[in-house]
Amino acid sequence: MTRQDRAGWLFSAPVLAIIALVFVLPTLLALGLSVTDYSIYALADWSNLRFVGLGNFIALLSTPLFWRAIGNTLLFAGLGVPMAIGTSLFVALLLNDATVRWKPLWRVLLFAPYVTSIVATAVVWRVLFNARFGLINRALAALGIAPLDWLGNPHTSIPAILIFVTWKIFGYNMIVFTAALSAVPADLMEAARLDGASRWGRFRHVTLPAIGPTLLLATMMSVAGFLQIFAEPYVMTLGGPAQSTTTVLYFMFDEGFKWWNLGQASAVAFVLFLMILAVTIVQTRIGKRHEWL
Amino acid sequence: MAVRRLRAIAATTAAAALTLLTIAPLAYMVVVSFMPRGESTTLPTPLWPSRLSWENYYELLVRRQVDGGWFDYRIVPALLNSLGVAAVSTALGLLLTVPAGYAFAKLRFRGRERLLQLLIASLVVPGQVAMLPLFLIFKELGLVNSYAGVILPSLAGIFAILFVRQATLAIPDEMIDAARIDGASEVRIFTSIVLPLLTPIVVTLALFLFLGSWNDFLWPLIVLADQHLYTLPVAVAAIAREHAADGELMMAAAVVTTMPVLLLFLALQRYYLTGLLGGSIKG
Amino acid sequence: MEGLGSTASGWTRRDALGLIPALGLVPVAGCAGSDAVPGDRDKTSPLTMWAMSWEGDYSPLLMPDFTAATGIPVEVQSLPTTASHEKLLTAFAGGAMPDVLMLFNGWVQEFATIGAVQPVPSPALVADIFPGVLDATRFGGRDYAVPWSVAPQVQFYRRDILHDAGYDAPPESWDGWRTMARAIKRRRPDDYVFLMLLNWPTGLITMLSQAGATMLRDRNTRGNFQTPEARAAFAYYASLYADGYAPMALSTEIQDPVAAFATGYCSIWPSGPTTLKDFERRADLIPRHRWATARLAGPQGAGPVSGLSSSLCVSSQTRRPREAWALVRHLTSVPSELRYQRLIGNLPARMGAWRAPQLADPVLRPFARQMQQPAAAPPVIEWERIQAEIQLAAERVVRKVQTLDVALAALDNRVDRLLAKRRALVEAGAIG
Repeated sequence: MTRQDRAGWLFSAPVLAIIALVFVLPTLLALGLSVTDYSIYALADWSNLRFVGLGNFIALLSTPLFWRAIGNTLLFAGLGVPMAIGTSLFVALLLNDATVRWKPLWRVLLFAPYVTSIVATAVVWRVLFNARFGLINRALAALGIAPLDWLGNPHTSIPAILIFVTWKIFGYNMIVFTAALSAVPADLMEAARLDGASRWGRFRHVTLPAIGPTLLLATMMSVAGFLQIFAEPYVMTLGGPAQSTTTVLYFMFDEGFKWWNLGQASAVAFVLFLMILAVTIVQTRIGKRHEWL
Repeated sequence: MAVRRLRAIAATTAAAALTLLTIAPLAYMVVVSFMPRGESTTLPTPLWPSRLSWENYYELLVRRQVDGGWFDYRIVPALLNSLGVAAVSTALGLLLTVPAGYAFAKLRFRGRERLLQLLIASLVVPGQVAMLPLFLIFKELGLVNSYAGVILPSLAGIFAILFVRQATLAIPDEMIDAARIDGASEVRIFTSIVLPLLTPIVVTLALFLFLGSWNDFLWPLIVLADQHLYTLPVAVAAIAREHAADGELMMAAAVVTTMPVLLLFLALQRYYLTGLLGGSIKG
Repeated sequence: MEGLGSTASGWTRRDALGLIPALGLVPVAGCAGSDAVPGDRDKTSPLTMWAMSWEGDYSPLLMPDFTAATGIPVEVQSLPTTASHEKLLTAFAGGAMPDVLMLFNGWVQEFATIGAVQPVPSPALVADIFPGVLDATRFGGRDYAVPWSVAPQVQFYRRDILHDAGYDAPPESWDGWRTMARAIKRRRPDDYVFLMLLNWPTGLITMLSQAGATMLRDRNTRGNFQTPEARAAFAYYASLYADGYAPMALSTEIQDPVAAFATGYCSIWPSGPTTLKDFERRADLIPRHRWATARLAGPQGAGPVSGLSSSLCVSSQTRRPREAWALVRHLTSVPSELRYQRLIGNLPARMGAWRAPQLADPVLRPFARQMQQPAAAPPVIEWERIQAEIQLAAERVVRKVQTLDVALAALDNRVDRLLAKRRALVEAGAIG
């Protein structure tokens, strides 16, 4: 073994061992659990455990709540990713303008929600969304709009949570995009302006290609993140109302830790993994096609 | 030039308005925490306390006697628990992931590329998949309901390794090779040459590790049964379920949970913003 | 704090416990170990007990007597009610159960089946309990819990609002309830009448019991919700929302039910004895003379009603069963139960306690009479989950996401699925 071999293994072995223990091993175990009917009966007595092959997966396919959860999750991702990425990009562009003063101040404050705890801020936003006393309805009333039952109406519950999530996370990608925007070639920009290109034209043909890779990476991570949304529905709406905010992960958590149906829950986890894998592959293809990766 | 001036004012005002809107929920949180009990659920919703009242903080943080019994939300012990767990997580996390990140960037060792591909591939797997079986594994190891049980999973920092690796790639190979020729050991090279160069990265990583551990709520919720071990988010979540009625009290709890890290990060913003932006931004 | 030299796995539970003095925490009950036998350290380490809601908060007040008599301190941990089921299961799965735990009666069979609690060692502990209550805590012919309090549901009503609508007391028939609700709603169109939130299952389950619906069939292995009785209960429940008598809200929106009752947002609140304590604590908001209690309305007058009665159990993982059972005996003794009643309004499970004068309060009379007609929950492990499914089906009907027939059929389907494992075990003869 060369010197670098030894050093390389010395430096990385401890963390790799931990990763193997707390990540790889349980994931494999989850795969194993998903083909059994591990439930509270098995918790009582091991001999109650049965191998059921694809039974859990087939059962999932005929569970209406499971499909509901998938639908909700796709809705969350479909609406949330454009909202979050769009907001981050918009704010980054706004702050990128050379004429804005006191940039560091705005940047820091706009990043603030990202470092707050989900539990604490979910409580705050629950109060803000309160149908009778919440400030959001008060603001709407000032604009002449009737109050909405944000968290009580199954149709507005997902938008409400998305507003909260966007508020919480947009700061991170704002910083990422700010870094990417600073790398847009200035001479190209100048040339475009001299050529008389409009604001939108400049954005489309100079800025967008330059930040393309960053945009794609951020979108990919954002999609993966939204497909795994859990803590916000858990704290704000308990998956309701009428299970309209039950996501796949929430469903998995409920099955697994509330009712101890680990067999079923592991099957759900596996399905979620496949979903994320599929989406990632699609996005990678798109990225390769545009030569952004 | 007047146009430029006007534009500057307009743009800055837009930025300011946006910032105000973003900060508003946090400001409201602080304001309500100082309201007397029950005031925030009166109509029209007040935006400022009728009188500055410390009673919510008093009830939250101080042990007091009611009806002959002690009442204690145990927030201060939870705060200390969070502090301890986050500090240990951060220290151990740095110790484990920074050398590994360097190794993946600069040390040529057998299996490096394979392992790297596996690490990147594993990013696709949602972490929560492992949670359920991990609980069973920890039960066998006797780690359930312990600080170790909370800290250990947070040390599997795949993102951290990749982050450090990305930053380390920028260090010129010649520097390291030169030191090797001079006869320095790999460990020596790492500690004397590479680490000083990585300082902003390490500080950024430390901040985010601390942040991640402080805000971590789901796993501690599952693993900790004993209230003496509760970290802050778990303690607050417990109050939130039972005392959802007391809006002002909940705001006080939210303030206690968010303020320490918020202030920490406001104070150190120069470091990690540089770390994230890679030093490419002028003010 | 330990030095950084210790690895993560060095943080054993012992280390964590060792930190507790450093954190300045003190065992909850008075002086610890002053009567301990010298040299017998283990005897003076605290017993742990978990309880929910008010019991969790006020149990420490019952401990000083126990500690004074036995020298054993007790540490009480209060669990939030809505998260208690999973916390208890997770604690069992993780081997982290307390010595003594409070369980709602509907969970005793479940916990007994999985081996989380141990059987009651002596019949004296369960003597003199209300009839019917012990049925829920039996399993395999043995008692697994000592009933501690009974919590039948009654209706709390606003005397002033009902009086304005022309009623001295609420009617006890379903039709009468609706007529009264119409009268109240006419006078107070912006308010509601019944405080029944869409994620509180007890309201509908009560109606199902009163309608006489047998909710499971085939030796409790299949759902039975498409019977006329169940249908009638669901239809009545949904009609209260459809006519605007009950608000379509979850507990996350109406976070302060006491305030909702006090401001007249709702004038009737079907609830249990713990609400007595809620009202006492907020007496400035809702003075005593404004409210009273009455039995809940049934299809043709008051009928059997289930309630969240609770019991004390000793976990199977405890290392000190004798002391744990001593604590249970102390807490379920008549003096303790009476003291509790004064503190938190909880009603004693021991019939002997009911002879005390404090329980002759007219406000408690509906509770006492209701206790003569308890409704039993089906004795299956999955009952907690089935209750949740029933409520979800009801919510779907109320929000007009599904029609009644579709929802009931779906509910039957779902319950059949949930009971699949039980069905398999019953057919194999593994359980009764």
